[in-house]
Amino acid sequence: MQKGFKRNFEPVRVLSDSQIEQIHTATLNVLDVTGFKYESKKALKILEEHGCRINYDSMVAKIPPSLVEWAISKTPSSFYLKARDEQKSMRFGGNTMYFMNSAGARYVDIDTGIVTMPTLEQNNNAVIVSDYLDSVHVFPSYTPYFEMEGVPPVMSCPVSCAQRHRFSTKPSRGAQPTDSFIWETQIAQAVGAQLLGCVEGAAPLSLAEDPCNAAFYYLEAGFPVYIASGSIMGGSHPVTVAGASVSHNAELLAITVLLQCISPGCGVIANNFVSAMNMQTGDLNFGTAAIALHQMAYNQIWHSFYKIPVNNTGSAFSNSKLIDYQLGAEKLPLATASALSGANLIVLHGGVTAELAYNPVLAIIDEDVANTLGHIIGGFKVDDETIGLDVIDQVGSDGTFLNSQQTRKMWKTEDYIPQMFDKSSYQEWINTGKKTVIDKAKEKYEEIISTHKPVPLTPEQDRQIDRILKEATEYYRKKGLL
Amino acid sequence: MPDPIQSLKDIVLNFDIDSAEKTAKDALQQGIDPLEAAAALTEAIRHVGDEFGKGELFLPDLVCASEVLKKAFPPINEAIEKKGSAQTSLGKVIIGTVFGDIHSIGKGMVSTLLYAAGFKVVDLGINVKGEEFLKAVKEEKADVLAMSALLTTTAMEQKKVIEGLKDAGIRDKVKVVVGGSPINQEFADSIGADGYGATAPEGVKVVKRLLGIKD
Repeated sequence: MQKGFKRNFEPVRVLSDSQIEQIHTATLNVLDVTGFKYESKKALKILEEHGCRINYDSMVAKIPPSLVEWAISKTPSSFYLKARDEQKSMRFGGNTMYFMNSAGARYVDIDTGIVTMPTLEQNNNAVIVSDYLDSVHVFPSYTPYFEMEGVPPVMSCPVSCAQRHRFSTKPSRGAQPTDSFIWETQIAQAVGAQLLGCVEGAAPLSLAEDPCNAAFYYLEAGFPVYIASGSIMGGSHPVTVAGASVSHNAELLAITVLLQCISPGCGVIANNFVSAMNMQTGDLNFGTAAIALHQMAYNQIWHSFYKIPVNNTGSAFSNSKLIDYQLGAEKLPLATASALSGANLIVLHGGVTAELAYNPVLAIIDEDVANTLGHIIGGFKVDDETIGLDVIDQVGSDGTFLNSQQTRKMWKTEDYIPQMFDKSSYQEWINTGKKTVIDKAKEKYEEIISTHKPVPLTPEQDRQIDRILKEATEYYRKKGLL
Repeated sequence: MPDPIQSLKDIVLNFDIDSAEKTAKDALQQGIDPLEAAAALTEAIRHVGDEFGKGELFLPDLVCASEVLKKAFPPINEAIEKKGSAQTSLGKVIIGTVFGDIHSIGKGMVSTLLYAAGFKVVDLGINVKGEEFLKAVKEEKADVLAMSALLTTTAMEQKKVIEGLKDAGIRDKVKVVVGGSPINQEFADSIGADGYGATAPEGVKVVKRLLGIKD
C-alpha cells in the first residue's frame, strides 16, 4: 500500500468552535428549508423513503437535519482503495496525506505557452511520468488530458481511463458524464482494481442526472466515491467565504446523504474545488487568498468535525500560462494551506493555464513541492538524540557541527533535498550551462520516458479493455453520439 | 417631482433592481412615450456596457443592470405594443447555451452587451435543445444565432444545430456565431460557423461585422 505522508501535528484552525457550529447549522437550514435538486426520480424516491420531503415537479428534496447527521455518522473516517498493483493501493483518511495528479484540456508548450490538442502518445507519456513520480499517488478522471487527438469527446473518459490503467499501476478516479462510469467501472474490474467513483454536483444546490446515475453504479460496484461541487465564489456561490462555505457544505452533504441512503457505510472523500470569479471576464481566478481560506475552513469542518476524508483542488491550477513565478506563487500557498489544515488528498502535479493545459515537465517539478510539503507536515522529532546536548557542548563556541556523527547520520532525514530545484553555486551554475529548474525537468522527462517501463497489463487484460472500448463505441453510436 | 426619463436612466445606472418595475410603470403613468422610455433605458445600459468595456465597471454591475432591464421592460414593451409602434434595432439575435450545458455567465454577458449595442436579443437560456434553436430562428426571423458551450463534451452540439439549420434549408437565412472556453477559431471554422468571439465584447464586434454594421 502507498503510505503517503503523515501529519504529525494538529491541523491549523481558521474557525472557532462557535463559527463551525454556525456554518454547520446554516448548512442544515439550507438543506431543510431551501432543499437540493436531484435530477433523478430514482434518487428522489430513495431519499423520500429516508424521510426527505420531495417535490417531484421541481425535483427538489428538503432534507431533515436528522438525516444529514445520520449520513455524516455513517460515513467512515477512512477507506481503502484497491489498485491493480497491491503496492499502489491507498487508505484515505486520518492523518495521511496523498497527492493526486492535476489535469488540463490541452497540451501546453512550455517555452511558448501555446496549447494544442494532445496526441494519444503525449497523453500516454504524461501517464508514464506520473507513474514514475513517487509523490503522485492517484489519478483523477480524464487525466492528464481532457481530450485527445482522434478520440471523439464522448469517448475521452473511457479512453483516458483505459490508458491510465495501461500505463500505470496507480489507482484512478472514474468520471461521470454520458454514462462513462459504465465503461470505466468495467475497465477497472477487468484489471482487478477499484476506482474512486465520482459524483460531482452542479452548483448551486443541484445534482444532474448523470452523477445520480454514477452514484448508483459506482456504489453497486462496491467502489468508494469522490464527491465534489465546483464552486465559483461570486458566480455559482456567494462571494463571501462564509456564504460560499455554507453553500458548498450543503451541496456536499446533500450528495453524502444520497450516497449513504443508497449504500450505508460507503467510503467517501469530499473535494473542495473553489475558484473566484474574475469580475471583468467571468473567467475563473485561481490561487487567491479567499480560496485558501475557504479550503482551510472546509478542511477544519470536514476533516476534524465531520471526520470525513477531504480532498483539495485549489493548488491544481494557476492562471499563469507558463511555468513561471506566478504559477509557483499561486499554487504553492494553496497547497501549503491545504497540507497544514488537514487535507487527506491534494491535487497538484502538472496543471497550467487555469484548467486549459497540462505538461508532465511541471509534474516533475511539482514532485519537489509535494515532497517538501510532505516533509513539513511530518513535523520533527524532539528527543535527546535530536536535541544532542552533548554535541552542542562539544562544539562549544569555536567548533563546527559538520564533523559530528549527528550531522552525518541525520542530515538527509531532517530535511528534504529537492531533486529539480537549482541548489548549485553560482560558479557551478555558469559552468554547467546555466540550467533552470525547467531545463533540468525537461532532461528528467526524457530520461523517464526512455527508461521507465510501467508494469504492463496481461495480454488478457489488454484484450478485455479493447473489448470494453469497442462496446462503448457501439453504445454511443447507437445513441447517436458518434 | 423627478424627471421620469432621468429616473429610468438612474435605475439602470444605480443598478436598482427593486425599483425598476415601479419606475417604469410610474413613467408610463406620467404620460411618457413608451418609445422614449425604452430609449432612456437603452441609453443607460449602453453606458454601462461602455464602462464595462473600459474596465471601469465589472461583471456584477453589468449583470445587475441587465436585471433592471428585465424588470423595467415588460410594462414598457406592453405599452409599445398597445400603441402599435415599433422599436428600431440593429438586428435580432437568438442566443442560448447548447443542450447538456448549464453555464450561463458568458452567454449572459454577450446577451447584455448585444442589447446595450442596440440589438434585439431573444435569450433562450441554458441547456437549449437543437430543435428549440431551429424553432426560434424560424419564428423570430433572426439575423444571428449565437451559441455558447463551456464544455468540451457539449461543443459538438453547436455543430449539430448548424447541421439542423442546413437540413431545414435555412442555413443561409441566419449568421451563426459561436463562443465558449473550449471553442476557438479553428473549431468554429470546422463546424461551419460564420464567426467566433473569444470574449463577450469581441462577440458583439463579430455580430456587427457579420451584419455589416460599423462600430
